[in-house]
Amino acid sequence: MREIVALFVTQFLVKGQFAVLLYFLAVNGWYLVLLVSSLLELRRHMLLIADESRHLLLSSTLSPTISILAPAYNEEATIETSLRALLALHYPNLEVIVISDGSKDRTVQVLIEKFDLVPVKTIYERNIKTKLVRSLYRSSTYPGLVVVDKENGGKADALNVGLSFARGELVCAMDADTLIEADGLQRMVRPFLYATDVVATGGTIRVVNGSQVKHGRVEKTAVPSHLLAGIQVVEYLRAFLFGRLGWNRLGGNIIISGAFGLFQREAVLQAGGYLHDTVGEDMELVVRLKRLSYERGGPGKIAFVPDPVAWTEVPETTKVLGRQRDRWHRGLADVLWRHRGMLFNPRYGVTGLFVYPYYAFVELLAPVIEAVGLVSLVLGLALGVVDWNFAGLFYLTAYGLGTALTAFTLILEDLSFHRYNTFRDRALLFWWALLENMGYRQLTVYWRLRGLWKFLRGRKEWGTMERKGFRPATAAS
Amino acid sequence: MVSERLLDVIMLVEVALLALAVSLFFLHGVWLQLTARRMEKLSKIGRESLARLATRGIVNVEDVEVLKNLPPDVQNITALEISRSLSGTGKERLRFVAQQIGVIDRARALCQQQRWARRLRGARILSRLDVPDPLVLKLLADPHPAVRAQAAEWAAAQPSVEVISAMLELLADPATQARFAVQNALLRMGNVIAGPLSTFLETHSDRAAEAGLRVAESVAEPRFLASALRLSRAENIGVREAAAKLLGAIAGAEPAARLVEMLADGDSHVRAAAASALGRMHYWQAGSQLAERLRDQRWHVRREAGLALRAIGAPGTLLLRRALKGDDRFAADMAQQVLDLPEAAAG
Repeated sequence: MREIVALFVTQFLVKGQFAVLLYFLAVNGWYLVLLVSSLLELRRHMLLIADESRHLLLSSTLSPTISILAPAYNEEATIETSLRALLALHYPNLEVIVISDGSKDRTVQVLIEKFDLVPVKTIYERNIKTKLVRSLYRSSTYPGLVVVDKENGGKADALNVGLSFARGELVCAMDADTLIEADGLQRMVRPFLYATDVVATGGTIRVVNGSQVKHGRVEKTAVPSHLLAGIQVVEYLRAFLFGRLGWNRLGGNIIISGAFGLFQREAVLQAGGYLHDTVGEDMELVVRLKRLSYERGGPGKIAFVPDPVAWTEVPETTKVLGRQRDRWHRGLADVLWRHRGMLFNPRYGVTGLFVYPYYAFVELLAPVIEAVGLVSLVLGLALGVVDWNFAGLFYLTAYGLGTALTAFTLILEDLSFHRYNTFRDRALLFWWALLENMGYRQLTVYWRLRGLWKFLRGRKEWGTMERKGFRPATAAS
Repeated sequence: MVSERLLDVIMLVEVALLALAVSLFFLHGVWLQLTARRMEKLSKIGRESLARLATRGIVNVEDVEVLKNLPPDVQNITALEISRSLSGTGKERLRFVAQQIGVIDRARALCQQQRWARRLRGARILSRLDVPDPLVLKLLADPHPAVRAQAAEWAAAQPSVEVISAMLELLADPATQARFAVQNALLRMGNVIAGPLSTFLETHSDRAAEAGLRVAESVAEPRFLASALRLSRAENIGVREAAAKLLGAIAGAEPAARLVEMLADGDSHVRAAAASALGRMHYWQAGSQLAERLRDQRWHVRREAGLALRAIGAPGTLLLRRALKGDDRFAADMAQQVLDLPEAAAG
């Protein structure tokens, strides 16, 4: 039996070596293209914003109105602080719509008491079918604040209700716990003023763990000393500064983080709003908007703003992180499956010919290929068909490239926004970049494979996200 | 198998790349720290001297010398920093000092450079200091939209006939960034644009006219009436919609009569804009036509018609109540929603 397995593994390793090598070359070659592209894009962006004065936007009656849609579910403890931070954002024509998605705690009562809400009736068009709206409130002290109390239907349903009530030309979809930079909206709205074909913009989301937060704003940035949170800082930097920025120049972004994104309201309504029956509703909407722009014509550009505009808390336990990554991968698989007609279809331009295949063959299948490689290597070692020196070299070669790319991403951040200034932060960032490949990455392979498996079995639950809460500024002083 | 020799080579390359990246990362950090400290120290000196010169009005030779000896970057930063909080004579003094120490000459030179980023930087400095320089006027025709937009920002503080006519031509700019900046700058110029804008609207009927109409709506001068009436019959939907809004802002019998006609326009956005404009004018004589629009096929037209009826007062409320009992359930539903609105929301 052992001989048969050994023979099979040997044959597999011999015959598969070229496929694996080709895959490695293609993926890393593409990463290199993305790195160069993001470097050029970042340089262009930094030149554009050097000495920029955004006061025109603040004082102009022509600035587009933005409606912030903030879904909230059982946020009684944090809703007041989060909402006050939103109302204090530096943007002139702003409307904030809080949608309590059937909260079972005192979320709505807290809002009524703290923001002097009064029940009102309003005219709105039910463009999209949603759960029942129970009541609607307006604040007598904050004219731009609207609170919707509705039956529970999930984040997508809450956002769809918000879309119906929104009056702004642009809508900002966010998570209730996202911390937005005071001038974040001014930065995010830029692409809509630059061009007529922009349908949505996304910005860089940073990890807030380890930083000091006061009154809903990040006061002092720091790299967390916690292993999982620290590695996620590096991951986020790479995903935004290297991945999305790179695609931006190549004309093919199809992801906007659900934590914070800005959309043309009319385009989203015409597309039918957010889908309920997917766990990847953020990406699904963006892909649908892109797809419809090719099919019906009209604006379809998804722009990415590299400025750090918002902060989010990341999981610090493997249990919660695993659930999140599993859900992300299920979402990716679901979106790609729903829009499979775009694959290699020249009708969808760059998106069909390059972006979609990249997400399908690199992002979606990467954990499968990585897992096959790891299992074969272990089997090969166990059966003695691969020697330890070769295995070690292969492992270091495969992951070394990733670490080198991450290190260059850290340089990109340092050359542009350099939010992590101290020697401690730099040392920690580099340390987490090195550690990422020693266990963490393999864990994410497992979680993503689990997500794929669940997708194949048709499971669509969200799982719960447990948050530790932000570290107040006073705690460190 | 993939040869170990090949893997060795790849490993060596990776190690070299990694070492390079780490060195760059940490060295850049050290450089950033040193530069920040140096800039902080020099900026403090620059700020103090510039503040004395710009606010007190006495040209102190020593202060000018101190500023002259600072590096150009520090001179620029401090001059731009202080420009935000100055206007009138204070800004004039700042311009004088900036001229003395070479900030303005350097910005002029930048405006003539080949690279767009340098021209943009030059235009930004001259804009922030409100320097009336013909070089920036030329940049209104720059090939890069960001430079054109910056030149438009500069123009807001230079409302001469030449500048206004150049700005109006830019309203047709295909790059939205420049168009936003141009519209905004024209608005900031105030009523001086009314004459040239009126002439402009008389001779245009395309996208440029639409942008012009939006600016005109904020100025709302009766001299735009003839153009607004003409453009309300334009082919372009956006132009007709903007013309309806302008007619509502100008108000009066003639605009009202045309707006009533526009309630039957083929495009729903134009019908909605006309209804909204009539409500804004409180034109109660259009009550029955607005009530008719409550039966419109498009929701947003019904909504604007309902709100307009509510805005025109008692006759409108009567018509809304009548719609409640009508045979059209969509009209009845909208009438009910409008009547349920609290006073503030209806206004």
